Amino acid sequence: MAIFKLKKREIECKIVYYGPGRCGKTTNMEYIFKAYKKQVIGEMISVDTEGDRTLFFDFLPMGLGTIKDFDIKVQVYTVPGQVQYRSTRKLVLKGVDGVIFVSDSLAVRREKNMLSLKDLQHNLKEYGISIFKIPLVMQHNKRDLAGQDVPVMSVEQMERDLNRQLKVPSFPASAITGEGVGATLKECLKLTLLSFKKQIKSG
Amino acid sequence: MVHMNIARKIKTLLQEAELYHSQGLLDEAMVKYNNATEIIQSNEKIKSRQNLIDNISKKILALKGDIIKIEKAPKKPEVSAKVQDLIKKMFSFSPDKDDDAKALDGAIALAKFGQFKRAILEFNELLKKDSLRVVAAKSMLRCHMALSSVNEAVAQYEQWLSDDIFSTNQLDKLRVFFESILTKEGIEKTLPRRKTPADNIESEMEMVGVDGVQVKVPEIEDYETLDINSIGITMDSGPQEGQVVEFKVRFQLGNVVSLLLPGRDKDLIENFKAGDVFNDIQYYSTVALFNASGIVTSVKEIKVGPRRGDYCVDIEVELN
Ligand SMILES: Nc1nc2c(ncn2[C@@H]2O[C@H](COP(=O)(O)OP(=O)(O)OP(=O)(O)O)[C@@H](O)[C@H]2O)c(=O)[nH]1
Ligand SMILES: [Mg+2]
Repeated sequence: MAIFKLKKREIECKIVYYGPGRCGKTTNMEYIFKAYKKQVIGEMISVDTEGDRTLFFDFLPMGLGTIKDFDIKVQVYTVPGQVQYRSTRKLVLKGVDGVIFVSDSLAVRREKNMLSLKDLQHNLKEYGISIFKIPLVMQHNKRDLAGQDVPVMSVEQMERDLNRQLKVPSFPASAITGEGVGATLKECLKLTLLSFKKQIKSG
Repeated sequence: MVHMNIARKIKTLLQEAELYHSQGLLDEAMVKYNNATEIIQSNEKIKSRQNLIDNISKKILALKGDIIKIEKAPKKPEVSAKVQDLIKKMFSFSPDKDDDAKALDGAIALAKFGQFKRAILEFNELLKKDSLRVVAAKSMLRCHMALSSVNEAVAQYEQWLSDDIFSTNQLDKLRVFFESILTKEGIEKTLPRRKTPADNIESEMEMVGVDGVQVKVPEIEDYETLDINSIGITMDSGPQEGQVVEFKVRFQLGNVVSLLLPGRDKDLIENFKAGDVFNDIQYYSTVALFNASGIVTSVKEIKVGPRRGDYCVDIEVELN
């Protein structure tokens, strides 16, 4: 739900990182916070619990400069991925304009990735949003673990599991090294702002 | 040769377990440690077998410790005022709403995030607004109940009786609402009413008109209209396996229902773990009976009061 403040000439939008528990949503945001100092316009606020798990959300306010005289303000959130925080996840998703779905490349998390994507679809639907229509970008995270001694899925397999029908832009990434992190967010912002343009034209 | 393979297999399992543990993937780590232990136990030829098993046991113990810590962590702790302010500001949507409606949204968001004490303060402020008074009051009572402070809820209601911010008609609504919540808690209590002096009646009549506007009460959760009285769960283990066991709903906040399980019924309690999903729950509400799934969001032992030792199980209704 982008908010257009005509008087202040400001557009506010909301981007949410979604994905199964421990897939690296918070790590993504931490990297953005460190690497994009210029665009970050406030502190990163995290509400987490035992074992660094996100309990309510992480929040990061960003500013992207101006487009046609409008100041673009972005609120970036991560949801808590643990299954039991379902209602909080839904709450954080409210009013979302663009989604980054982070999946975990560890083979043991294959099913959890798929369940989380379903959960996203379900929660969006409850807000009357189709997962096929919302600006959505996928990130296959923890690629740095490929080549180490743990079973890691191939990008192709993850695409088949998660992106066969959606066919959204996707990025291999490593939130820990920062590889692919900026590209993922930029693409999501691009799609989100594009969809505003369309909305303005059609409405 | 077989031996070499087994040694390598064990080594990989342990490496995997370590990595999963370090990433907070605790169940996955546990599976790998258990796998490794099984292999070692079934291969008597392995060198310093007991040593290995002892080492793994230690790791499993540490892992269990972490799992327990996570299970025990409070699910909706009070957070800092800074975070509460953020919640209030960021989770009141609808830019076209007026400031009062936004303030109500903000207070409701605080309650949804379990910030009941702060929410009570916010709702209390909203009592000043004619159009929000009853809604805010109901929400305040709910928050007190969610904090398990029945006495405070009652005291608050009694305070309102003697204040003059509510009309008698509004107080009646509050009483009926509050009694129904108390009944669900298993508390049978007849609440006092305001004594109406006869000369007040006229002004009361006027208030009724105002009140008509407030019939549609904004809700804490979308499912609130479904007042769930009891639920039936098909047990998948324990002595009652396969049977539908009916539970009285003790309290409902939005789409989360709380059940009370007697502490002595250990077998039954064993069936409920946070994160468990029951796919086929029958929900009996005042208006309908429906089937839906539900997820256990918390299992807590009650530490004080008359129900000490009993368990409170929260289940979130999932309508599909
Ligand atoms: N090797 C590796 N580890 C990662 C990567 N991203 C995250 N991790 C690790 O994975 C664990 C979980 O990361 P978080 O960012 O907290 O995950 P999350 O998705 O926010 O988890 P929840 O808040 O529980 O939903 C941490 O131990 C991170 O260090 C990555 O790209 N590579
Ligand atoms: Mg997180």
